[in-house]
Parts: sequence; C-alpha cells; structure tokens
Amino acid sequence: MSDWTETYRPTTLSEVRGNNKARDKLEEWATSWDDHRDAVIVHGSPGIGKTSAAHALANDMGWPVMELNASDDRQADVIERIAGEAAKSGTLTAGESGRRLVILDEADNFHGNADYGGSREVTRVVNDANQPIVLVANEFYDMSQSLRNSCETIEFRDVSARSIVPVLRDICRREGIEFEEEALEKIADDTSGDLRSAVNDLQAVAEDTSRLTVDDIVTGERDRTEGIFDFLDTVIKEAGAEAALRASYDVDENPDEMLNWLEDNVPKDYAGAELADAYEFFANADRWLGRVRSSQNYSYWRYATDNMTAGVAASRREPKGGWTRYGPPSYWSKLGRSKGTRNTRDGIAERIAEREGTSVATARREILPFLSAITHHCKNRERTVQMAATYNLDESEVSFVTGSGKETNKVESIVEDAEERIAETTVEHSGSAFFQPDDADSDGSEDTASATERPDDTDADRQSPASSNESSSAESTAETAGHESDDDQAGLNDFF
Amino acid sequence: MFKAIVSAETLTSALDSVSVLVDECKIHLEEDGLEIRAVDPANVGMVDLSLDAAAFESYEADGGLIGVDLSRLEDIAGMADSGQLIQLELDEETRKLHIQIDGLEYTLALIDPDSIRQEPDIPDLDLPAEVVLEGSDVNRSVTAADMVSDHIALGVDDAAEYFYVDAEGDTDDVHLELTQEDLIDLQVGPAHSLFSLDYLKDMNKAIPADAEVTLALGEEFPVKIYFGFAEGQGQVTYMLAPRIQSD
Repeated sequence: MSDWTETYRPTTLSEVRGNNKARDKLEEWATSWDDHRDAVIVHGSPGIGKTSAAHALANDMGWPVMELNASDDRQADVIERIAGEAAKSGTLTAGESGRRLVILDEADNFHGNADYGGSREVTRVVNDANQPIVLVANEFYDMSQSLRNSCETIEFRDVSARSIVPVLRDICRREGIEFEEEALEKIADDTSGDLRSAVNDLQAVAEDTSRLTVDDIVTGERDRTEGIFDFLDTVIKEAGAEAALRASYDVDENPDEMLNWLEDNVPKDYAGAELADAYEFFANADRWLGRVRSSQNYSYWRYATDNMTAGVAASRREPKGGWTRYGPPSYWSKLGRSKGTRNTRDGIAERIAEREGTSVATARREILPFLSAITHHCKNRERTVQMAATYNLDESEVSFVTGSGKETNKVESIVEDAEERIAETTVEHSGSAFFQPDDADSDGSEDTASATERPDDTDADRQSPASSNESSSAESTAETAGHESDDDQAGLNDFF
Repeated sequence: MFKAIVSAETLTSALDSVSVLVDECKIHLEEDGLEIRAVDPANVGMVDLSLDAAAFESYEADGGLIGVDLSRLEDIAGMADSGQLIQLELDEETRKLHIQIDGLEYTLALIDPDSIRQEPDIPDLDLPAEVVLEGSDVNRSVTAADMVSDHIALGVDDAAEYFYVDAEGDTDDVHLELTQEDLIDLQVGPAHSLFSLDYLKDMNKAIPADAEVTLALGEEFPVKIYFGFAEGQGQVTYMLAPRIQSD
C-alpha cells in the first residue's frame, strides 16, 4: 500500500494544483536562469506543493536533482561538500553545460547541533553557485536577511478548497472509488488549504470503502497552529474565558513565552481597573510558573495558562475593537539592555554584602537604597568619599550609586580621595607590623578622619559589628598593639 | 542464495573504492560476480564496480540484491589480516549477512535496498581523448595540485601530443606535463576540463600505485577513470562531473 501523496505527486509543473501564478513564476525563473543566475526562495504553508513544484520543475526542464532536506545532517561542512559541490559542478551526463537543480528543503529550519552553522553556509553556497538553486521554506522571515536579499522570492498560497476537490476527484477516479461530491468537499474544507493533508485524509477514509459518503468522513478537523498575533487578538479583544483558554491550545508557545507576549501587549488595549485585574491574573500565572520551576511539576502549567488566558479575557469590562499593533515581548531585550547596569549593581551589592555580613539580596534591597539617598549626587561629599573608600568603588560604581555623571571631576576627585584614604588606612593598619610598636598607642589619636566624623563615639563602642571582618594584617597587629586598631574605618551602621 | 569466500585484501579494496563516494550502497549478487553502482549525494561523482566470481576463492550466488552500510562492513573486513580469508553468507530469512574470519563470527544487519539512493544510469559519453598512465602518476599529480588549489585541470594538448595537469591557486601554481614516453598510452583528442580536487583526492585513495589507470577526457566534460584491481578480476570505473569554470 503506497502513500497516495507519493503516488500522485505531480511529475510536471502543469499538474501542480492551485497557485497557478506562483507556478508560472517558477517556470519563468527556470527558463530565464541563464540570464539572471539567481537562486529562488519558494515559501508558503506546509503541504501546498512547494517541494513537489520544485521536483516537477526539474523534471520539466530535464535537470537532475540534488536535494538536501531536514532529514540529512546539515552541518556547515556537509552543506559545503554536498550542496556546494553540486552547485559548482556540471552534470555527469552533459558535463559543464549541463544544468542541475539544487533543492534545499526546509531552508528556514536549521536546528541544534546537527545543523550547526548550516544557515550561514547556505548563504555562501547561494552566493557562489553556478547552478540553479531552489530554497524551500515555510517561514520566509525565519531566514536571514542576507539570504532573503540574494534570492528571488515566490510565495505559494494555501490551496483553496475549490482547487483541492478536483485533485481528490481525480484520485478517486484513478483508484476506482465511487464518491459523493459532498464527501470530497468536506475533506477539502476540513484541511483548510493543506493539499497534502487532504490527500492523506482521503486515503485514510477511502482505503476500506468502495463508495465514499459524507458519513464516512470521520476524520476530525486538523489541528492547525494558530499564529501568536491572532491568538493575542482573540484573548485580548474577542473571546470569553473558556474560548480564550481553548485558543491557547493551538498556539505554539510555552506558557513562559506566552505570558511574556500577553503581559507586554495587554496594556495596549486595557486601561484602568480592567488592566489592574488583568495584571492580578498575570501575577497569579507568574506565581504558578515559579512553582513549576521550583518543583519541576509541569502539571501546574495548566493553572498558569488558565490565569493568563481566561483571566485576561474575564478582566475585560468593555468591548474592544479596531486593530492594535502587537509586538514581541520586550522582556528579553530589556534584560539584555540592562545587563551592564545590573552587573554594576550586583558587583557593588556583593562587596557590601561581604563587608557588612549580609546576603547579597539584602545588601541590594536594604542597604543600597540608603547609600543612594545619603550620597545623592555627591552632595554630602565626605560621606561619599567614605563610602567609596569603604567598599572600594571605582568611578562607574560611584556614579551608579550617587546618580552623578561618571566622567565628572566631582566623581573622579571623590574616587581619588577614597583611594588615598584606603592607602592611608592600610598603612595605619599595618601599624606595628612594619614600624616600632611604640606608635601603637597613638593609634587612636591618629584616627582623625573617623574621630571627627563620629565625635560621640567612645573607644569602647567603636568596634561596630559591621566592621568586625577586617584585614588580617590588622588582626595580627591587634594582638601586639593590645587594643582595637580597626575602628578607623566606618561601618555602615555608623551612618544611621 | 549467496555464499562466498574471498581474501581480505580483495574485499577491502573493493569496498574502499565505493566508500569514498557513498556511505551505503546496493550490492548486486550476480551469478558471475558482484556489481556495485553508486552516485554520491551531490550527484557529482559516480562509481561502477564489478568483481568477477574468479576473484573469489569460492562463489555462489543467484542474483540477489542487498543493501549494505559500507563503513560497518569495512570495519569488519579490517579485522582480518591481509591474506586471511573472509567467508560471507546471506541468511535469506533474517536478511542478515554472516561474516566469518578465522573463527570470528559477525552478523551484519542489512539495509533495505529501497531506502538507499537510486542507482545511477551510466551515461554513455563520447570522450575523444584517452590517457593511460600508472597509478603513481595520478597520485603524484593529485597530491601536488592539492598543495595549491581546490580544483585541477586535466587536459590533452592535441598539437604537441602530451597530457597535462594544471592547478592554479591564489598565489602558487602547479603544472605537470606527461608526454607519450612517460605514459603507457595516449590517444590524442581535444580535452580540457576542470575537476574538484576533493573528489579526485578521494578517488585517488582507491587507486593502487601499480595499477594501469585509464583516463577518458573531453572538453568541459566528465572524466572517466578506469582501473583494475585484484589481479584484473575486479574493475572500477569512476566518473566525475566537471567544475563549472566561472569567469
């Protein structure tokens, strides 16, 4: 029992159904190839005859075919060796004047390690080719721009039910199957534009019957993936809670991505209280996604999806209409853009955390804001210098905390002063390690910087808990010096 | 039914000359010997091999067709020392090939021949020039050309009556002329074609240095490379499509 889609595959272009215009364009491209020598991209939905048309074309022109499709390994070197050589060589029968059609099927789908570097290599092969190349793709815009620009483009449209019925009728006649016209129409309608599915469905139902009636057509409507933009429209503007949830079943996005899409686009249509409600549901959805992540229990996805689809639809309080320019989620691009700032912030927080004995999160959440307030625009210069010295901050970090420009003299001079102070204190701390121990007694009086800042502090309570982790040289001298020498550096608690 | 005993050398050299182009192939088990025809995935190179029954120690077959994973079979054949005998037997029931090498038994699962790329029709070409030379000369030309370029020109000067090899790289060139005296035979005709060195290098690997190699050439036409192995009991014909000379 052979597959009818193979048995009845068109052998010449004239047998290719639907898409007459595209078909003629393809033929014209082939006949005039010697003049323009461009490759062509044939794109459109699955099952509408793109690959068949390419093969039929080769057959019509009498060109041997070299095909590379997704079932082959398509690493860069494989493409170079096979497609590259095929595109640069003549044929075995006619030598150099012979033409060969190179068909690169699923040129928009290069996935994973098996296809590593594939798409870039395709562009190179196309540019170096001496033979006609047809690139077959579903999603035109999934291919790189450089590739799209270097090729001609032919779009195949979905085959209308009106064009599918005659094909089915023809197959039935050739297979000797009696049929009701309505039965074929039903198949054609159910498959909505996908000719290959229609033929497969026909074979599935016709295999066991000699007469095909409408009642035999039990094959359900085929699943079709719905585009994300249509889905957004449905959820945000039209559907009720249940319909919105159902619409999400046909979308090819996982809940994390779907949430990003919805969350980014809902504010374009919702406002005020309904927007607040919608975000309440997004928050719920996000919480469920968090539970999925932490427990790895993916059955929770359903609650996330419930919230983000039905929840949003239910939040709608007034009818929405018109057309909205929905866009892809900005979540990732925002993360990408803010990466530098976040790194600076985390770098500072880490140092604060180490110094103050807190967690990084606490440093970031509870200490950094206070530091920012205290040193706002470096107005309190002394404190700012102190901070920079304590946490060993450089210009960009000082400017991050204070909000002053990084290149300004103000910030630069603060950092300079801070460095000086660090150098001073290091010498002080080394105390008796390098010099005679007799200057250890003067430690307290030398400590002018911090003494003036904290006039109420007594020697006894200077040892703040925050400054307990001091450099080891200080600790080693502490023993010989006999009293705390590490209190010249202000801890954060001293600020409050 | 297929049952044969063959020396390891003969089997490996037969397999090697096919495996330079394809990973899988169909083997025709004819009454008077083996036949393999295959074309590489890019449709640029082709091999036609026959190994006469006389090349085997013993040979019995009645015209079957099997599909084989060449690298697997090569690995097994590689287990044998040169001079050792390899016994092959096809189990029709299980569609497996039993291989015996001095007590070592190996059962090789075969591939459905229908799943292997179709065998090419051998094009009937009228190639005007014919050069007969030693395998070592082919080797020398290809190796030298490979140092400077990725393609090579083969041609015959019909006025001065010599065979030449040209390779032009970005900076360096290689040129070799072989006159009537250097060659075993030369049939002069107009011939000049460009070929991919990647392919010629691979084909060269299968050509024994002491073999008599016949090259049939034309103007911008495929080259036919013909040589014998297993003391003349086996014949290999390679065909290679020319590179298009872009200007």
